[in-house]
Amino acid sequence: MIVGGEQAHGSSVMDQVGDNIIHHVSNSSLDHPLIHFPHIYGIDLSVTKHVFMLWVVAALVSITVIIPIQKYLRRKNTAPSGLVNAIESIVQFIRDSIVKPNVGPKWVNTWTPLILTFFFFILFANGIGMIPIFDLLGVFNRFIMGVPANDNHNFINNLLHGGVTATGNFNVTAALATITFFTIIIAGTKAHGFIQHWKNLVPHGLAWPIYIILIPIELMGLLVKPFALTMRLAANMTGGHIALLALLSLMAIFAEMFHSVAAGIGVAFISVPLAAAISGLEIIVVMVQAYVFTLLTAVFVGMAINVHH
Amino acid sequence: MEATAFMPIGFGLITIGAGLGIGKLAAAAAEGIARQPEASDKISGAVNLPLFLLEGVAILAEVFTFLMLIL
Repeated sequence: MIVGGEQAHGSSVMDQVGDNIIHHVSNSSLDHPLIHFPHIYGIDLSVTKHVFMLWVVAALVSITVIIPIQKYLRRKNTAPSGLVNAIESIVQFIRDSIVKPNVGPKWVNTWTPLILTFFFFILFANGIGMIPIFDLLGVFNRFIMGVPANDNHNFINNLLHGGVTATGNFNVTAALATITFFTIIIAGTKAHGFIQHWKNLVPHGLAWPIYIILIPIELMGLLVKPFALTMRLAANMTGGHIALLALLSLMAIFAEMFHSVAAGIGVAFISVPLAAAISGLEIIVVMVQAYVFTLLTAVFVGMAINVHH
Repeated sequence: MEATAFMPIGFGLITIGAGLGIGKLAAAAAEGIARQPEASDKISGAVNLPLFLLEGVAILAEVFTFLMLIL
C-alpha cells in the first residue's frame, strides 16, 4: 500500500495500521485539497478526494453510457451492437424487473430514467473503489518520475490522500438519498395531488385514537427511509474495504507481535488468499448495493403511487 | 460501569435478530423454490425486499457501534 506524504508515525504498529486503514477509507483532509477554492459563506469549497472521484465517476458514466446511447439514437433503424447491446440489457432489466413491478405500468417511463441514473452512477462509484489505479499512479510517481513522498505541491501525491470510493462517504450517499426523498414526494404529488399525497400517508377510516400513534410513526418512516438508504450504501462500501485492509494488515501485526519477519510471511499465506476472496465478495457487493439502492428507490416511489389502503 | 458500555451488547443482539430473520427468509425461499422451481423468479423477487430491509437494520447497528467507538 502506497501512502502519500503524511504517514502517521504512531508509537505502535497497531496505531499505524489503524491510521492506515482509516486513511484508505475516509475523505482526504481539507489541509491537502486537490484544487483550492475560496470560502463562500464560511463553507470551504476546496475540492477533496471524494469530490474529485465524483467528477471522475461522472466523466466515466458520460463516456461509457451517455455518449454511446446518444450516438446510437442518432442512427436510425439499426440493431444495437457492442457496448450499446450491453447497456440495453441492463436498461431492460432495470425497467422490466425493478421499476415496472413496483411503480406500475402507468408511471414506468416517468421514473425509469431517474432510477437508471441512480443505478449507473452508484455502480460506477462503487466499482471504481475496487480498482487500485491511484496506488499504481503512486508507484509510477515515486519510482519512475522520482517525486519524493513528502512533496505536498505534486498533484499525484495529493491524489493519494484519502479513499477512492466516493459512495463510502456518508455525505455522498446522504445527497443521493435526499434525491430519493424528494422523488417520493414528487411522485406521490404527481399521481394523487399534493394534499391527497399527504393524506395517503396514513390509512383512512380508522378510529381516531389510532391516528395519534400512527401519524408520528408514518412521519418518522418518511425520514427513516432515506436515512436507511444512506447508511446501508455507505456502511457497506466502507465496511468491505476495512475488512480487506484489516486482513492485509494482519501481516504487519503478526510480524510485530512475534518480532520476526517469518511470522509475517507465514500469515501472508493465509491473509492474502483470504483478502483475494473478500475482493471477489466485494465485487458482488458492489453490484448488489447498486441494485439495492435502485430497487428500494423504486419500491418507495411505488409505495407513494400505488397506495394500498 | 457506565451505561454506554452495555450498548454494543444491544447492537449485537440486534445483529443476532437480523441474522435470524435473514436465515428464516433464506430457508423459506430455498424450500419454496425446491417445491416449485418454476416460481423461483417470483419467490426471489418477494424475498429481496425484506432481505435488504433486514440487512439495513444490521448495518445500522454496525454503524452506530462504530460511531460510538470513534466518538
